[in-house]
Amino acid sequence: MAAWDLSVTVEDLGSDAPPVTISVDSGLHVGGVILKLVEKTQIKRDWSDHALWWEQKQRWLLRTAWTLDKYGIHADARLVFMPQHKPLRLGLPNGITLRLRACFSSSVFQTVMGICRMLNIRHPEELSLLQPVEEKKKKKDKNSAEEIYDLTEVPLSSASRPCLYNGMPAHFADSPEMEAIYKMLSVTQPPPSPEVIAKQYRAASVVDKAHIHGRWLDSSRCLLQQGIQENSRLWLRFKYFAFYDMEPKYDVVRLTQLYEQARWAILLEDIDCTEEEMMLFGALQYHISKVSQSEPQMLSSSAAMDDLETALQSLEVKMEGESSSASEMLENMTAPELNDYLKIFRPKRMTLKGYKQYWFKFQDTSISYFKSKEESIGEPIQQINLKGCEVAPDVNVTAQKFLIRLLIPAPEGMNEVYLRCENVRKKHAHTHAHWMAGCRLASKGKSLADSSFQSEIQSIRSFLAMQKTSPGTHGNAPANDESLNTHSLVSPRYAKKYKAKQLTPRILDAYQNVAQLSLTDAVMRFLQIWQALPDFGLSYVVVRFKGSRKDEVLGIGPNRLIRIDLAVGDVVKTWRYNNMKQWNVNWDIRQVAIEFEGNINIAFACVTADCKIVHEFIGGYIFMSTRSRAKSDTLNEELFHKLTGGHDAL
Amino acid sequence: MAQRCQDKTVVKVLSFWKECSDRSGPELPHKAGRRLIHFKKMDDIDAMFSDLLGEMDLLTQSLGQETVPPAPLPSADKEVSYSIGYTDLNESLNELEDCDLDALMADLVADLSATEVKFAAQKEELKVQSLPPPDLPPPPKGLSTHPASSLASPASPASSASSNVSTPASSTASPLPPPPPQVSKPSKEEMEAHIKADKIKLALEKLKEAKVKKLVVKVLMNDGSSKTLMVDERQTVREVLDNLFEKTHCDCNVDWSLVETNPDLQLERTFEDHENLVEPLSAWTRDSENKVLFQERGEKYEVFKNPQNFYLWKKDKNTLKDMKDKDKELLIQENFCGTSIIVPDLEGVIHLKEDGKKSWKPRLFQLRASGIYYVPKGKTKSSRDLICFVQFDNVNVYYGKDFKGKYKAPTDFCFFLKHPQIQKESQYIKYLCCDDAWSMNLWVTGIRIAKYGASLYENYKTAEKAAVSSVWTNRSSSTPSSSNPSTPSPTIKAKSPSQANGHAPKPQQGPVSVDFGNVPPPPPPPPLSVFPHPTPPLAAKSSPKPAAPQRHLPTNFPPPPPAMDLLPPPPPPPNEDDALEAPPDFLPPPPPAVGFGSLPPPPSFNSPPLPPPPVSFGGVDQSLPPPPPDPGFLPPPPPQPMFTGARAPPPPPPPPAAVPAAAMRPSGSVKKMPPAPPKRTTPSLQGGGGRRWRLHVRTDAGHEQETCSLSVKFVEYKNSMNCACTLTNLTLNWPCLDFRKKLLLFTFTTKLNISNQPVEIRHLFQMAIQPSFF
Repeated sequence: MAAWDLSVTVEDLGSDAPPVTISVDSGLHVGGVILKLVEKTQIKRDWSDHALWWEQKQRWLLRTAWTLDKYGIHADARLVFMPQHKPLRLGLPNGITLRLRACFSSSVFQTVMGICRMLNIRHPEELSLLQPVEEKKKKKDKNSAEEIYDLTEVPLSSASRPCLYNGMPAHFADSPEMEAIYKMLSVTQPPPSPEVIAKQYRAASVVDKAHIHGRWLDSSRCLLQQGIQENSRLWLRFKYFAFYDMEPKYDVVRLTQLYEQARWAILLEDIDCTEEEMMLFGALQYHISKVSQSEPQMLSSSAAMDDLETALQSLEVKMEGESSSASEMLENMTAPELNDYLKIFRPKRMTLKGYKQYWFKFQDTSISYFKSKEESIGEPIQQINLKGCEVAPDVNVTAQKFLIRLLIPAPEGMNEVYLRCENVRKKHAHTHAHWMAGCRLASKGKSLADSSFQSEIQSIRSFLAMQKTSPGTHGNAPANDESLNTHSLVSPRYAKKYKAKQLTPRILDAYQNVAQLSLTDAVMRFLQIWQALPDFGLSYVVVRFKGSRKDEVLGIGPNRLIRIDLAVGDVVKTWRYNNMKQWNVNWDIRQVAIEFEGNINIAFACVTADCKIVHEFIGGYIFMSTRSRAKSDTLNEELFHKLTGGHDAL
Repeated sequence: MAQRCQDKTVVKVLSFWKECSDRSGPELPHKAGRRLIHFKKMDDIDAMFSDLLGEMDLLTQSLGQETVPPAPLPSADKEVSYSIGYTDLNESLNELEDCDLDALMADLVADLSATEVKFAAQKEELKVQSLPPPDLPPPPKGLSTHPASSLASPASPASSASSNVSTPASSTASPLPPPPPQVSKPSKEEMEAHIKADKIKLALEKLKEAKVKKLVVKVLMNDGSSKTLMVDERQTVREVLDNLFEKTHCDCNVDWSLVETNPDLQLERTFEDHENLVEPLSAWTRDSENKVLFQERGEKYEVFKNPQNFYLWKKDKNTLKDMKDKDKELLIQENFCGTSIIVPDLEGVIHLKEDGKKSWKPRLFQLRASGIYYVPKGKTKSSRDLICFVQFDNVNVYYGKDFKGKYKAPTDFCFFLKHPQIQKESQYIKYLCCDDAWSMNLWVTGIRIAKYGASLYENYKTAEKAAVSSVWTNRSSSTPSSSNPSTPSPTIKAKSPSQANGHAPKPQQGPVSVDFGNVPPPPPPPPLSVFPHPTPPLAAKSSPKPAAPQRHLPTNFPPPPPAMDLLPPPPPPPNEDDALEAPPDFLPPPPPAVGFGSLPPPPSFNSPPLPPPPVSFGGVDQSLPPPPPDPGFLPPPPPQPMFTGARAPPPPPPPPAAVPAAAMRPSGSVKKMPPAPPKRTTPSLQGGGGRRWRLHVRTDAGHEQETCSLSVKFVEYKNSMNCACTLTNLTLNWPCLDFRKKLLLFTFTTKLNISNQPVEIRHLFQMAIQPSFF
C-alpha cells in the first residue's frame, strides 16, 4: 500500500507551530497515527487524553482501531491532535463562574455527567449546558475582575461516584482553596445587591424567553462539534424541571444550585408571580441567607451526621424530661408572662377615640388589660384570646412607631385592635418585639412558654433592623448581613414600586410564617412554592403551526405541551404527554409532528430554536418520567439517547 | 356478707383502685354541672339515652339467642327523672383524675419500699429476664383516648342465679400472686419497677389529661336519628368517623363525612378528616343552632376519584368522562405526589358580593396555591397584575345554602370564605357565587387543595383503606352469625385510620381482659400481650401495608381457641356484610353456651359477652412468641381471663349474687338518686371469663357506707395491645342510668402502659339493676 503524507496540527506545540507531517498508508489505524505523531514530536508527556479531531468533517477520530481508510481520511484531511478535556468557563446557577476541564469529545450529555460528577450533583440528566446570552460588552465593565473559581487541576476520574471525604468529593478536600470552592457550591449566595439584579438581562416577553431556550446545546453531539472552543463560557442549568428523588442529605450542591436557579428566575421575572408570592419568596430568601450565614456547616453531610447526634441528644433530654417528677413538671408549667403599659386603640365606626393606656398582661394565649398595674390582680377590663387571630406589625423605626395590629376573630366577625408599644422606659423596639412575638405564637395557639419564643423575638428584631438602615442604603456598599436591603429580595419591578420601608413590613409579614424553618426546610419550601406557580417548568419555543400563518408559542412543560397565542398571551390548548401516541421530526423540513390519542395531530416548525431542541425536550421529559425508584439508580443513558437523539441516534 | 368479705380481699389487692374510687366516688353525684350541656346538641340527655338504648336494642336482639333473655325490661319507668347525676363531664372527670393522682402517688410510695427489697434480692435474675418482651407491637401512638363506643349486652335478670358461677373462677385462680410460672418471677420485679415508672408517667399524663377538653356531640344521621358521642380534643374527624362507622351500619365508604351546618349563615362544610373536631365546634356560640351531620358527601374526595374533572377542567366533558384509570392515577401522581402539591389552575368569572352591599358583581378570579386573586379592571391576566382577594391561612371555605333567597345571589351555587370563628353575618365574610354547581365544586375543591395540600390526599388514602377493610370485615363477620351484632367495635384511634371497624373489637377484648388481670400484683404475663405480629393471611390480604398494625389485632383474635371449636372461624370466610357485624363475632362468642359448658366456672349470667372459654395458661405462653401458624394456637381471648383469674386473689366474688343484693339494698334510698356513682371498681378475680367485674357502688348520699357489689359485664374494650401492658389505673368516667332497660351504664378509662407509653383506653360497662333498685 502506498504511503502518503498526513499533516496533523499538534495543539500542544502552539498555535503558530507548523503541522507535523507523518508518513502513513491507508491501512494504518488511528492508534498507529497517534503513535507516530507522538514519536515525531519527541515530547514526553501523558498523551492519554489526546485524540485526533478532523476539522472538515467536524468529528473526532476516537476509534483507534479504525483505519484511515475506514474513516475515509486522505491526504487533504486537516487533522488536529489535541486533548479531549479542555478548560471551560462554566456559569453556575448561582451566578458564579467556575473554570473546569470538561470533555470536548463526548456527547454533551456525557460531558454534563462528568461535570456533575465533579461538582457532586446527582441526576445530571436534569441539567444541560446553555450558551449564555451575550453580555452587553460595556468596556468599562472589567469583567476580568470577576472572581473565577478554578477547578482545572482536578484530576479526571472515571469513577461513577466520587468517593466522599468529609461529606464532599475527595478532590475538594485537597486544599483550603478547594474547600472554599465546595462551600461556594453548597452554600447559598447572599442576596445580590439591587444593582446587580438590575444589571442582569431580563427576558421581557415570552418571545425573549423562547430565544433563551433556543440556546440549549445539543445533548447528543460533543462540544467541539457545536463550535464551543476552549475557555468558552457556558451556563450549567437545570433544563428538565422534573426533579427526581430530591434528598437533602445527598443533594447538598444540587439543592443549593436549584434554589439559586429558582431564586434568579424569580428575581429576574423569568417566571411570573403575584405580589404576595413575591413577598413570600423575599421572606424565604432573607431567612435562607440568614440561616446559612449563621450555620454554614448545616449543609454538608457530615453536618447531617452531627444533626442526627444532636437530634438524638435532644431526644434523650426530652425523654428524661418526661420522666421528671411531677413537681418539676408543675414548675415548668407555670407559664411565663409579659406585663407592660401599652396603649390600645379599637377602631369603631364613628369614633375618633385615640389610644388609651392600660396595664397589659400577656398570659398563655391571651392578653388582658387593667386600669393600672396596681389593679392587675383583679378582674381585667377585658381579656382577648388571640388564638386564630391575625397579627400584623405596623412599624416605622425612624418615627418610633411600634404598632401591632390584631384582627381578632369573634362570632360576629373580626375585631380590629391596635396595640401601641410605647412606654416610659422608651424601649419601644424591645417591647414591641416581645409582644409581637407573643401575639404571633398565640395566634398559632402556642403560649409564651413555647421554645420558639426567643427566636421569634430575634427574628423580628433583626428584620426590623433592616428597616433602620435600608432607607439610606439604596445605592450603598454591598450588603453586609445587618444592613441587608429588602430590595435585594424582590424583582426590580417591586423594587421600583415600593420603597424599602414599605417593603419591609410586607416581607416581615410573610416572614412570620417561615421564620422557624430550618435551612433545608426553607430551601425546600422555596422550591415548592416555585414549583406551584402556574407557569413553573415551562420552556418556550416560538413555532409556526402547520396551516397557521402566524407565530405562536409552544410551551414545553414536564407533563404537557401548551399552545400560547402570542397576541393575547393566553393558553389556547394543552396536550399532555400521557396522551401522546408518537412524535416525529421531519429533519428535512425541520418540522415536528405529534400525534395524540383521539386522532389529534399537530405539526409545527420551530422558529426560535432548532427542532432538535424541541425534540430533545419532549423526549427528555418522557425519559424523566421513566425514572422510578424501582429501577436501579444507574442512568439509562441509552434510552435517553434513543428518546432525544433524533436521526443521529439511528 | 360473704360477698363482702371477698370483696375486701379483692380490695386489698387492689387497694390502689379502691382509694381512687373512694375519693372520687362521693363527689360525683353532687357535681351538678351545667356545663355538660356544651351545646344545644348536648342538652337533651334524652336523646343521648335513646341513642344508647337504640344501640342496646340492637345488641340485645342480636344477643338474644345466646344470652339468657336479655333483661327485657319494660321501658315504662321512663319518666323517672334522670336529670340526676349528670354533671359537668369535664369537671367530674377532672375530679376523678385528681383523686386518682393522689392515690397513685400514695400507692407508688408504698409500692416502692415494698418492692425495693425484693428487687435487690432478685436483681440478677432480673437482668436475664427482665426485659420486656421484644415482640410486643408498639402501641399505636395516638392512642391516648379511646372513646367507648360499644354497648354492653344487658344483663339478664336471671343473672342473680349465676352469681355462684364466680366460684369456679376462683378455683382456677391461684392465690393472690400466682405469677405465671417461669416468666413471672423475674419479670415481676421488672414489671413492678416498670409499673412504678409508668405510674409516674401516668401521673404526668394525668396532669395533661386534666386539661383535655371533651365534648359530647350529637351527630345527626341521614334518617333523622342521631348518635351521641363523646369527643376529645385530640381526636380527629377521622377517628370520630371510625367511631360512627362502628355505631352505624353504614358501608364505610370514603364519602362518609361529618358536616357542619350553621343556620344563621346557611352554611355547610365538610370537616376534613385530619381536623380536630372539638376545635371548630368550640367556636360555635352558646345559643347556636349549628349541627353536625353524618352524611355521604361525594364531593369530599371527588378530586381523587375523578381528578381530571379538576385538573383538566377546561377539556371537553365527554373526554373527561371516559378518562382511563391509568390516566387518573397519573394525574394524582403528578399533582399530589410530587415535591409540591399542584393546585388546579382555576380561572373564571365569579360573582362577588360586595362588602356591605346587596349587589353581586362579576369578577374574573384565579386560583393559585397562594390564594385567590382577581384581575383588576383593564389589566391583563398576567400574574404580576393580579390582586390578592384572599389567602387561605385564616379562612375556611363553606358552601352557602339558598343564598338566592337570602342574599339575592344570582344563583344558588354559592360558597364563601370566613374565619372559622365567625358565626354570624359579618363584613369579614367573603361571599362568592358561581354559575353552576359544577364550577362551585371546582372552586371549593380547588381551595381545599390549596389550603390543605398533602393532608387531603393522606386523608383520602386513609379513608380508602378504612373502606376497604370494612368491606373485608363485613364479609368475614357475616358468616359466623348474623345474629350477634352485639358490640360496636371500638376503634383504635391512634394511627390506625384504616382499621376496619369490625376488626377492632375482637382484638381488644382479648387484650383488655389480660391487662386487668395483670394489673395489681403479678406482672402481666408477657405472652398474653403478644399478639403475633405476623398478620394472618386475611389481614394481609385485606390491607395494604399501612393498615398492618391494626390488622394485627383482628387477626390474632380470630383464631378461636382450640377448645372452642364452635367459634366461628374469623377471617377466612369472605362474606359481605355490614361492618358492624364484625364485632359481634367476637364479643359474644357465638357459641357462648359451649364455652361455658366446657369451662369450669362460666358465669352464666354474664356469660353472653364473655370471652370464649379460657384456655390453659401454658397454651397461652406458647402462643406468644411468633405468629402462631395455626389459628388454634393464637391466644384466644378467653384464655386471658383465665389468666387473670389465676393471679387474682382467690376470692372470686360471686358476681351474680352481688348484683341482686346490691341492687336490693340501696333500692329504697336510692330511688331519688338513681345514678349511683360507682364507687370503685375492682377487677374481679374470678377467672370465669375474666370479664366479670366487681363494682362497689355508692348508692346514695344517705347511705354512704353502703356499698354493694355488682357484677358487671365487661362488654368491650378498645385495646389493641397485649401482654406487655400494665394496667395502672382505672378511672370511672361517667355513669348513666338507663331506666327503661334497668341498666347502669358507665365508662371506665383504663390507663395502660405499653412499651412504656401511656395509653388510655375507654370501656363502656353496663350493669343490670334490679327493678327494686328504683
